[in-house]
Amino acid sequence: MAADVEILSRRGRVTRLALAVYGTLIYVFLFGPIVLLVLFSFNANRYGTFPVTAWTLKWYRAAVSDYQIHDAVATTLKVAGEVTAISVVVGTTAAFPLVRSRLRWRDGVRVGLVLPIMIPGLLIGVSLLVLFTGPLHWQLSPQTAVIGQSVYTTPFVILLVSARLQGFDRALERAAADLGANAFNRLRFVVLPLILPAIIAGALLAFTLSLDEFIITYFLIGTNITLPIFIYTQIKFGITPEVNALASMLLAASLLVLALAFALPQVIRASRRAVRFGTGRRAARITA
Amino acid sequence: MAVTATPASQASEAESGRAGIELRGVTKRYGGNVALREVDLEIRDGEFFCLLGPSGCGKTTTLNLIGGFVGPTEGTIWLRGRRIDNLPPHKRPVNTVFQSYALFPHMSVRDNVGFGLRMDGVKRAEASQRVNEALALVGLEDYGDRTPAQLSGGQQQRVAVARALVKRPAVLLLDEPLGALDLKLRQRLQVELTQIHREVGTTFVYVTHDQEEAMSMADRIAVMNLGVIEQLGTPFEIYRRPTSRFVADFIGDANFFDVNVDGSVAVLSDGTRVPLEGARTSGPATLMVRPESLRIGDADSAPAGAVPGRAVKSSFLGTRVRVAVHTEASVVPLMVAMHGEAQSSVPAEDAEIAVWWAPEDAIVLDSSRGES
Repeated sequence: MAADVEILSRRGRVTRLALAVYGTLIYVFLFGPIVLLVLFSFNANRYGTFPVTAWTLKWYRAAVSDYQIHDAVATTLKVAGEVTAISVVVGTTAAFPLVRSRLRWRDGVRVGLVLPIMIPGLLIGVSLLVLFTGPLHWQLSPQTAVIGQSVYTTPFVILLVSARLQGFDRALERAAADLGANAFNRLRFVVLPLILPAIIAGALLAFTLSLDEFIITYFLIGTNITLPIFIYTQIKFGITPEVNALASMLLAASLLVLALAFALPQVIRASRRAVRFGTGRRAARITA
Repeated sequence: MAVTATPASQASEAESGRAGIELRGVTKRYGGNVALREVDLEIRDGEFFCLLGPSGCGKTTTLNLIGGFVGPTEGTIWLRGRRIDNLPPHKRPVNTVFQSYALFPHMSVRDNVGFGLRMDGVKRAEASQRVNEALALVGLEDYGDRTPAQLSGGQQQRVAVARALVKRPAVLLLDEPLGALDLKLRQRLQVELTQIHREVGTTFVYVTHDQEEAMSMADRIAVMNLGVIEQLGTPFEIYRRPTSRFVADFIGDANFFDVNVDGSVAVLSDGTRVPLEGARTSGPATLMVRPESLRIGDADSAPAGAVPGRAVKSSFLGTRVRVAVHTEASVVPLMVAMHGEAQSSVPAEDAEIAVWWAPEDAIVLDSSRGES
């Protein structure tokens, strides 16, 4: 590394500096507003802007004790939970034929199933709204929003589980069959444990996406409100510090779930190792 | 003439009155390709049986048919008198050691080995004891708590063997189980596998393309080519009495002559008349002589029926010296292997010499078979 720097020409050094500044600016552009939002949520100034008059937690207290927010959080979590369940079940079962079957239009079917990621949420929202309220005469409710969000989140699970299945060694299933495992036991003891990390990652991703999904939900949830919709309605009357606090908490929750999504597979692996070493040590002690 | 069985196969013959596995008229087609062509095969109970052949000869298909991973297009498969070709793999008393081992990466060695017993609902205490026995059999008693990723290739291979044997199958199928290992380790595991076979007495059906491996382990070998069994016999029979040019060529090294058989004499293409053992039907044929059966000497001191030639090149190969001899009797140079004290009389390059052999070492092959 040091050698690299030494042989760098003067112009090279200037270029490198310019790139570093450019990169920093992009980061500031991306994350500056979020930092400000979090900063203002602790600001005692009741207009929620500069100057920072004093540090306080009262906006958080206000947000936590607001019954409207309680309702919104409850609805959001309920919707996110149901969306996660549907996405995982539908996405995982869809991934198997997409990877393994000799379906005639397999590639076409795959594109079709994954397309909702690229279709504008507006389109999903409006088209389902027309379907539900028109031909089906359904009452809009959190359940209709769950259906709409699942259309959008399921493809993510499909993609993650498919990728895992693609690299799955089919010889393991043949070995399990050879050792007396029927189809259910092969799935239960060999296939599912090995694709579990992808399923968990898919579930957490679906949960996070659902948590702050706005467009589809806005069209389909009717008179109920989720947290993003609540924030939106509040902002219509001006940005209050309470909204800042709420958004900050939403941010923290999203980050936490995402961190879990990435960390969990490692944690599982590490805990397995710990268990193994644990038993190993015990065995060693017994023999010693 | 020693066409009799080796001691090992005599023993297995004595132990078993009936066929362990039987294939009757089995054909397997994949679309338009014929992988196996009306194969009839009997494998005796308790024997170490090798399916040997080049890739695409149908040996792995045969194994998969016995294991139940593919079904026959035509024909039936029987195990100890019971028809099994209509049973799924998990209902056959047959277990497999896969080429890639196929150990479950998320389970410990102990759980891998115990998997089959768990599927069968064997009680915990008994299962645990049998797992211990299986691990002891392959010398891995102390490795039960590791995962497959923490084992070397040879150890993984042993786990695969233990996992397949713990269910006490009627037949153990092994699909090129040593293919991924280096030569030294392979040789050691060959010895270990034959020891394990002797210890457990289960029928082993072993697929390989390595003729040395097959020769060193098997009681009997079926040499396969293009979906048919070319020859079936003990390693000794197959090496010394090949019935087709393909088998002679595939097992060990061989020199071939295009000859015209005339009673008890074969006429080589250079006009040399060599005596044969016994009388044969007259006509064109292929004569095969192993490199180690050839003798080299001065042209003037050679016996009758010696082929005149010229030494082209000699190579020192440690246990033997290989001499290439150009003759008028064959297009490619003859390969002569000189062992022991004979190595001191290796001819100089370009020396005019003669090559001869004992009549019983020359095998007359039907020239129409095995030409592909």
